[in-house]
Amino acid sequence: MAVKIIELCTNCHACLPVCPSHAIYETKPHFMVDPKKCTECEGDFADFQCASICPIEGAILNALGEAINPPGSLTGIPLEKMAEAMAELQAH
Amino acid sequence: MTCALLSCKAIFKEVKQMQLPVLNDAPSAKSGCSASSCGTTDSQMDTLPDSIREKVQNHPCYSEDAHHYFARMHVAVAPACNIQCHYCNRKYDCANESRPGVVSEVLTPDQAVKKTMAVAANIPQMTVLGIAGPGDPLANPEKTFETFRRLSQEAPDIKLCVSTNGLALPEAVEELSKHNIDHVTITINCVDPEVGAKIYPWIYWNNRRIKGVKAAKILIEQQQKGLEMLIAKGILVKVNSVMIPGINDEHLAEVSRVVKSKGAFLHNVMPLIAEAEHGTFFGVMGQRGPTPDELQNLQDSCAGDMNMMRHCRQCRADAVGMLGEDRGDEFTMDKIEDMEIDYQAAMEKRKLVHQAIQAEMDSKRLEKAQKAAVKPAVAPQTRPVLMAVATSGQGVINVHFGHAKEFLIYEASPEGVRFISHRKADQYCGGDVSCGETESTLQTTIRSLAGCEAVLCSKVGYEPWEMLEQAGIMPNGEHAMENIEEAVMAVYLEMAKAGKLDTEQLRASA
Repeated sequence: MAVKIIELCTNCHACLPVCPSHAIYETKPHFMVDPKKCTECEGDFADFQCASICPIEGAILNALGEAINPPGSLTGIPLEKMAEAMAELQAH
Repeated sequence: MTCALLSCKAIFKEVKQMQLPVLNDAPSAKSGCSASSCGTTDSQMDTLPDSIREKVQNHPCYSEDAHHYFARMHVAVAPACNIQCHYCNRKYDCANESRPGVVSEVLTPDQAVKKTMAVAANIPQMTVLGIAGPGDPLANPEKTFETFRRLSQEAPDIKLCVSTNGLALPEAVEELSKHNIDHVTITINCVDPEVGAKIYPWIYWNNRRIKGVKAAKILIEQQQKGLEMLIAKGILVKVNSVMIPGINDEHLAEVSRVVKSKGAFLHNVMPLIAEAEHGTFFGVMGQRGPTPDELQNLQDSCAGDMNMMRHCRQCRADAVGMLGEDRGDEFTMDKIEDMEIDYQAAMEKRKLVHQAIQAEMDSKRLEKAQKAAVKPAVAPQTRPVLMAVATSGQGVINVHFGHAKEFLIYEASPEGVRFISHRKADQYCGGDVSCGETESTLQTTIRSLAGCEAVLCSKVGYEPWEMLEQAGIMPNGEHAMENIEEAVMAVYLEMAKAGKLDTEQLRASA
């Protein structure tokens, strides 16, 4: 059981100090979680600490491979609004 | 990380403020700071106690005239953040608060110290080092404080500053007070949690992500507590606010009142910058920024309340050099690695340079104070006029209209000439319907001058000349290489003489 950081990570460091198991390490091209050390914060905190401070939607996955912070959950931007803005930008 | 567009944090921006306040009047014709560009607002310094005036008068970010002589730099050592703001996108870094994304590189404390000393040795006018992001410096306490600790010891002639959202401020005050830090900037956009909930979607607090009004309430409490603690320690506090029309614009007068009553010496209201391509909540949702008029009105309404900084350039978290310039490219890590710095020798040189600057500033300040006593020869009821100036510095009109990337806006009135703001040539698109996609750069530039009645530059081409006239803005190329304030006053007097300023006429606004 471990969380996973994927390529959406911007290397902002926020998760590094809050991990109770010191399972996160800095590497290229982005931060990673050592699955042997990750406890999913079991016994320490109710919520995944890394995913509670991570500002990037979709950057951290749970053991099932699902985004802990799915699109729209952190920014509050409705998905259709974001899609509209992206389409608009690509049209230029 | 790449920041989409413009601007950002304003940490280190300047303000106005003047010493030798002598009169309670707004300044009048002035020769001003040699470099000038900015007018002055002596009255804003009048309320400052001597102890504070002493501290800020040579700070390029806080002192209007000092920013023409002294330089500042930021080091980007603090990438993590503990809150989310709706005007910031962490993928690109923050649009309003700092933009390290464009910034190229986040530094380790060791790299930051090397860079700072390299810049200090090569740009002796650099007196101030700030940490402003890209995230929140106090959410990266180890990196931020190690940088400050080492610089306090190894480069004691550099002043240190920090900018924060305030969430982690209370527990950082003790440590901050141990270093050479006498200026802290807190970004406070609200004192009402209901307003805050529309600006901050979440905070990370006590090991949980907290959202909504509850999150805003905690953030506000921490900001206010931190502000009070800093004041109690004798540390200067500046407050930055991002003006967001329809959200906190009316509320900011209250923010100004509250933070001033607690002892903040300066309130800097900055315009929201929001574009869809930033990917920020405000950008995507079509939230517009304030028009220049709205910004000026708010700054004016707060001015009686508190000292304001009008020429904040919302610079980025790794800027190097004089305000408004960025020499960061000269000091990338690979270049710094090859530099041999003898800091002891550099400090000797820096001291001499600072003394020479001080002498020049003192004489300019004296001269300005004397000139301020002379009132322009117009009737006291004459209405004020806004004018745009194209300049690259040195206090003179020296840029062609078509080459100007930004304009300095001045107000001429019977009280004299005062600096109002900078306007980027294409920054103030409000995103409303009048802003069509087909608008040319020239049209955009002219739009950015809304509210101005004249534009002073070294030259104006035929096409823009006509378009400016149609827009009700008089092009003027007759004062090339002249002192800005004197030229603005000369044009104002000509307008008065021609009967263009007769009383009932209201200022032509946008």
